[in-house]
Amino acid sequence: MRKIIKNNNENYREDRIKSRSAGNDIAVEVDSVSKRYRIYHEKIPSLKQTVLTLKRTTYEEFLALDDVSFSVKHGETCGIIGPNGSGKSTLLKLMAGIICPTSGKIKINGPLSALLELGAGFHPDLTGRENIYINAAILGMKKRDVDKKLKDIIEFSELERFIDTPVKNYSSGMYMRLGFSIAINVNPDILLVDEVLAVGDQAFQAKCYRVIYDFMKSGKTIIIVSHDLETVSALCSNVIFLKNGKIVDMGKPLDIVSEYRAYIEELEKKRMVEQQKAERSKIFKTVIGDDRKVVDGEEISKLSHLSIDGETINRFGSGDAEIMRVKMVDENGKEISYCKYGDSVEIIYEVLFKAEVEEPIFGIRITDYRGNIIYGTNTRLKKVETGTFNNGDKVSVSFSFKINLIGGEYSVSPAVGYSDNRTYCDWVNDMFTINVIHRNIAEGLADLDPEIKIEKEFR
Amino acid sequence: MFGNIKKLFSYRELLFSLTKKELKVKYRGSVLGFFWSLLNPILTMLVYSFVFSIVLKSGIEEFAIFLICALLPFNFLTNSVNYGAGSIIGNSNLINKIYFPREIIPLSVVFANLINFLLELVALFIVLAIMGYKFYIYLYILPLIIFIEFFLVAGMTLLVSALNVLFRDLQHLITIIMMVWFFGTPVIYPLEMVPEKYQFIIKLNPMTIYTSYYRNIFYYIKFPGGGGFPSAAETLTAVGITLVVFFTGYFVFKKLEYRFAEEI
Repeated sequence: MRKIIKNNNENYREDRIKSRSAGNDIAVEVDSVSKRYRIYHEKIPSLKQTVLTLKRTTYEEFLALDDVSFSVKHGETCGIIGPNGSGKSTLLKLMAGIICPTSGKIKINGPLSALLELGAGFHPDLTGRENIYINAAILGMKKRDVDKKLKDIIEFSELERFIDTPVKNYSSGMYMRLGFSIAINVNPDILLVDEVLAVGDQAFQAKCYRVIYDFMKSGKTIIIVSHDLETVSALCSNVIFLKNGKIVDMGKPLDIVSEYRAYIEELEKKRMVEQQKAERSKIFKTVIGDDRKVVDGEEISKLSHLSIDGETINRFGSGDAEIMRVKMVDENGKEISYCKYGDSVEIIYEVLFKAEVEEPIFGIRITDYRGNIIYGTNTRLKKVETGTFNNGDKVSVSFSFKINLIGGEYSVSPAVGYSDNRTYCDWVNDMFTINVIHRNIAEGLADLDPEIKIEKEFR
Repeated sequence: MFGNIKKLFSYRELLFSLTKKELKVKYRGSVLGFFWSLLNPILTMLVYSFVFSIVLKSGIEEFAIFLICALLPFNFLTNSVNYGAGSIIGNSNLINKIYFPREIIPLSVVFANLINFLLELVALFIVLAIMGYKFYIYLYILPLIIFIEFFLVAGMTLLVSALNVLFRDLQHLITIIMMVWFFGTPVIYPLEMVPEKYQFIIKLNPMTIYTSYYRNIFYYIKFPGGGGFPSAAETLTAVGITLVVFFTGYFVFKKLEYRFAEEI
């Protein structure tokens, strides 16, 4: 027998007939299901409020699932992946019958068990054994079946010694192990699993996977929600990629998982850029104050069509002067990209003025790959007079160093500042990279150039 | 409705399990176990007996027995409603994670209190036997009365447990309502003491009729001066109101049930 779940909350549950029908190979069918949550601004309404205003407090609607359709055949293992908040858990709860869809219908053929949380409903004051009976009953097991399987459950959980101890004295691992042992022994046709495979130590986890494999082999239907992409690729025959309550794609695990990975990487990249931007603007605001014109990197590059190597550079400043390019040259004036410890080099940058600037400050900062400032200086600190520049003036600023860097990659950030020493015409972060060839001479950030003596007999 | 009962029946083992759990948790960690639960009615009985036989002198013979045979059935109602009110919220971890007919939770509270009530009755029988009451004459009526009262208690508990999810401050209101109900039921006073013109209202309260039955079965068997079993009309009215309460409670519960997982 097979019935359809209508979008009618009263009859919803009664209509979920859970018997396996002959000649029907669909285990779970989700048909254009949407779920809308109301997010109340004040969580718990009071009676007085309801009586006085005759309606609930204001709320926002949140569409957790948007017109989702798919079906899972008997004997299939289906994985559901997606970023946080994509609606995976909502979908599982809907399939488990814990909540009802706002629209659409779900058909379930066969007994279903949902492992949304292990040990949900354990009572801390009762012993492990007592909790087995209660938990198994909650999961739909008959007492005589539990009697029969009690030994298996206890053995699987590896809790023989503690089974008559109240579970409040259990460690979280023991708690989960007992929960998993019970759940796995309920033996339903359709199993819904939500991130519960990460239980216990390595050995126990291996055991859990074996059980899941056995489950699959015996022709059971499993639907897994997981962030563990390895597990999903290994176990599933079919994967659904969910995002913002919608199905992005579904199909073979390898394709879908790699699609998801690409999405995650993209997301990660975006987040890094956002973060950097936020940090930059923070630095910028503290340096500049609020009385000056604020121009961020993107804006200035748009204004002057300026970009180097086709990449937008993180920079800020008023734009009265633009740093055109940075280079490093050796003693003979030859442009180089590598140098080694002890070399004498010049770091040169070219500046194009767009307005009259009096006594600008030319500066440079060298950072390591972690962003630590290794060295920074400018014409003001070095008491170099710079003079006045006009629109169209091209200037080359040169800093010559003896490379006392230990080795590795260092970034150069040049800057042109106003004479107030607070605001900038142009500041470009990490505009140029110096590679210092590593020679095993020391470790750390700075070369303190010690003289080492060894005395044989010390006092 | 019919489908629901069938479903509930298929989950009967869970109902038994949860009822057992309620009782186990209640008596866990105390050597005297169940006997502690007798302490509450005994203390209530002692206090009221002191007030009404020594201070206010009501003139009721063996006031303690007079009181206790109405107090125990009333406590069955009060305890079920009070514990049941928070039962859905208190089991949010279950509601949120596992599907099963939700009414099992408040019903397990009612059953646990029913068992408690029955055990208290057994203790009462012992006391009555020692004191020479012929409580067994009308004892055959007792199961029927308990059965009917059960529906009233279940209906109230279902109603309150469901509404409490949506209106959390109901819990405070319930304490007050139950107190009013207690004094509006002839528990600490006999029905005859109520002025004639108010008796009609008091008799609309089904608990009045039920406590009257309990009292006639246990107490008036020795002191036949007062009481007398309620009339058929009164009894039927009480049963009718009970069924209305039960079905209201049940349908409100069923109506709100699907929102539990989202609200808690």
